[in-house]
Amino acid sequence: MLDTTWFPVLLSLRVASLATLGALAVGVPLAAVLARRRGWGADLLSATVTLPLVLPPTVLGYYLLVVIGRRSVVGAFLEERFGVVLVFTWQAAVLAAMVVALPLVVRSALAAFESIDPRLEAAARTLGRSELAIFFTVSLPLAWRGLVAGTVLAFARAMGEFGATLMVAGNIPGKTQTLSIAIYDAVQAGRADLANSLVVLISLVTIGALVLLARVARLTRW
Amino acid sequence: MLRCDISKQLPGFRLEVRLEAGRGVQALFGPSGSGKSLTLQCLAGLVRPDTGLIEVGGRPVFAADRGVDLPPQRRQVGYVFQNYALFPHLTVKENVAYGLHRLPRPQREARVAEALAAMRLAGLQNRRPAELSGGQQQRVALARALVTRPKLLLLDEPFAALDSIIRGRLHRELLELLDEAPVTTLLVTHSLDEAYALSREIAVFEAGRVLQHGPRDEVFYHPSCKSVARFMGMKNFIPGLVAAVTEQYTRVDGPGFTLWGPPAACRPGQAVECCIRPEHVLLVRKDRAGEGPGPLEARLDGVIVQEVTYGGYVQLLWRAAGPAHPDMPDLHVTLPTHVYRRLGVAGQARWSVALKADFIHLLPAEPDRTEWTRAGAD
Repeated sequence: MLDTTWFPVLLSLRVASLATLGALAVGVPLAAVLARRRGWGADLLSATVTLPLVLPPTVLGYYLLVVIGRRSVVGAFLEERFGVVLVFTWQAAVLAAMVVALPLVVRSALAAFESIDPRLEAAARTLGRSELAIFFTVSLPLAWRGLVAGTVLAFARAMGEFGATLMVAGNIPGKTQTLSIAIYDAVQAGRADLANSLVVLISLVTIGALVLLARVARLTRW
Repeated sequence: MLRCDISKQLPGFRLEVRLEAGRGVQALFGPSGSGKSLTLQCLAGLVRPDTGLIEVGGRPVFAADRGVDLPPQRRQVGYVFQNYALFPHLTVKENVAYGLHRLPRPQREARVAEALAAMRLAGLQNRRPAELSGGQQQRVALARALVTRPKLLLLDEPFAALDSIIRGRLHRELLELLDEAPVTTLLVTHSLDEAYALSREIAVFEAGRVLQHGPRDEVFYHPSCKSVARFMGMKNFIPGLVAAVTEQYTRVDGPGFTLWGPPAACRPGQAVECCIRPEHVLLVRKDRAGEGPGPLEARLDGVIVQEVTYGGYVQLLWRAAGPAHPDMPDLHVTLPTHVYRRLGVAGQARWSVALKADFIHLLPAEPDRTEWTRAGAD
């Protein structure tokens, strides 16, 4: 009982945390680039990144299977070269959650970067600082609140991820069964007690995480 | 030292600027949208001109024909933006130190302390920009730009963000601060008072071009064309034909009367415009009206048809009496309020005006194409 209750909780936390970190690592630089570029390429890239927000999770899961499945080019390459099979592992769940969370990070970060007065970056340039230094000393600190907001949304979305995860990581108890899938499973199996405790847990954990992040965001105010 | 000869085509706007500037403050003066700020951005490397050459301190930073285009980081150009663009998340000290990242810490600290002291910011070093007054923010922006010892300093409307009440004091402060940092400085402004008070030379911009560039008194008193004359506050333009040119005067056949201007490079028969500042159109005192005009002075009878009072001064519109010549414009007259009261202008409509040669600036008549410019609107 303890394992069936706690394993999905811990797995979900791990998956959501790693997915959020991954989405930040990819999404923030991407948003920084998009904020400075105008044109068809940037619009297309922006639209592609936003796609997971509007597509049904099952479609997304299908796309992911096409990309990382054992018979796909990427999947086959990974298996032959490194002996790595992604599908139906918890790492695949991380990938699914990350893709789903990415648009939330990119959207918030893009809005935050675009709201920075371009003259601040121009001033930094005339003062001799490199573009990379400007990103870390001006753009990033000034976009901080937007980034935290994006992180909160991304984490919340990753915690609740169900459809795409089910398709690429499956529902293997003790291996890939995340919280939201475990709840579905418990309800299907008629185990109302387990479903109840899992629902209470996910609610509390998520609320706790969101409150914590909001506090962090409020610490930096000028 | 600055040399600049650039052009840039934008949708619906063409910038073509030639400028040479030595030490001291040069004002780039002109209406909004005339290309002053765009010129600064080109000089700083924030906007790329299509063609041309920019040399800062004798070093080419942009040369289209040789493919030279240094990024802003390597141009050694200090830029004080409109609204200052201070980093809101950094303290005054961190803002000033921002461009000194290459210096080792002790030297950096020393330079920052020196700059803060010079700009009288010593007690404010740990404040954030939001906690400073407009004037203090301006000094932080200056300190941040000057501490890197630029070869060229660009000031983009540095007083636009400030109340008119404190502007006068800050003008004097800026003059002192820039005096201590003798670097070629370009000051963008659309205020003539500011341009005149703060600079040695004025470059007058209109529609992306420099109409005239020279010592401020030269530009102010001897504008090279009607647009510049209007920018310099000349409001009266009386058309005429040159009748005679001597070493003492130029005699002009005006619309229905003769007037005299200073000696000028014109030839008899040439069409000219006599430009007179509104404060240089003199109302003739009633007790002197019988004495007749002095040498090189034209007198005209007329009536005051409009007046507007601005606290310290009064603006009048004067119209020639009788069946006036169709080419004779109404004259704008500006009087200090105390003179207006002493003369008793309010009581009477009929006044003679005196136009003296010393106060007249002669310009060759231009085709009417300048009429569409927004310059003349007042």
